[in-house]
Amino acid sequence: MWHNQAIPYKADFSLNGNLSELERLSAEISRFCRENSLDEEAEFQLNLVLEELFVNTMRHGGCEGAQNSTRVRLQSAADGVEVVFADRGLPFDPTSAPPANVVAPLEERHAGGLGIHLVREIMRDLQYRRSGEWNQISMKRPHGPRNL
Amino acid sequence: MIQLMEETRGGWCIVGVRGRLDAESADELESALRTAIGKNAKVAANFAGVDYISSAGLRAVIQAARAAEGKEVEFTICSLTPHVKKVFDMSGLHQILHLRGELPC
Repeated sequence: MWHNQAIPYKADFSLNGNLSELERLSAEISRFCRENSLDEEAEFQLNLVLEELFVNTMRHGGCEGAQNSTRVRLQSAADGVEVVFADRGLPFDPTSAPPANVVAPLEERHAGGLGIHLVREIMRDLQYRRSGEWNQISMKRPHGPRNL
Repeated sequence: MIQLMEETRGGWCIVGVRGRLDAESADELESALRTAIGKNAKVAANFAGVDYISSAGLRAVIQAARAAEGKEVEFTICSLTPHVKKVFDMSGLHQILHLRGELPC
C-alpha cells in the first residue's frame, strides 16, 4: 500500500550581517511555520529567539557587514522545533552568559542581556560549540504552550 | 516596520503603534515616545496593533519609561496582545512598567 506522505519542510538559509536581513529572517520563519502547521506563538517565539542571536552577532560578534555570516537550520520534530544557529562572529557561548537581572527596578534597568535571557526562557536543551571560525548553538522549542 | 499615530484625548497623549517592534524599528518608537513625553504630562502607548516585539523593542519602552520618570510624566503601555504581553512578563517588565489592559480614556 502506498502512502502519499509529504516530506517535512526544513529550512536552511544564510544571512548577511545587516539589520535589513530581519525581514528575510521573518519571511523564512513564516514559511517554515506554515509548511509545518505550527501556530502563531511558535512563529513569534522562533522569530524572537533568532532575531536576538542574529542581532548579537552584529552588535557584539563583529559580523556587521559580513556576507553569509549566519546560517540557520530549522526542523520540526515530534516534540518541538529543532534549531541550529551558526555564526562566524567572535566566540560567544550563550549557555554560560550570566543571567540578566529581571527583578531590578526601572532606574537600574539597562536591558543588557535581556535578549539572551529571552532565548533561554523560550528554548530548551541549549548546546554550544565552537567549530573552527563558527559558533554553533543547537536548541529546541518545545511544542505546545510553554508554562511560564 | 512600524506605523505611529499621535492623538490627544481626555488629557492624554496617545501614541498608537502598529507593526513589528524589532531591532530595525525600535529607535523610531523610542524617539516618538521621547518626543511625546517631552511635551505632555500624560502619555499612553497603544500597543493593540503591535504583533511582534523583541528585546530591542523592550529597550525602547524601558528608555521611554525612564525619561518619563525623570520628567515626572505619567507613562503607560496599553492593550498588549497576548504574545507580546508574555515577552514583557518573561522579562519582568510587568513589575516595573505601568501596563494596562485598555486605554486610559
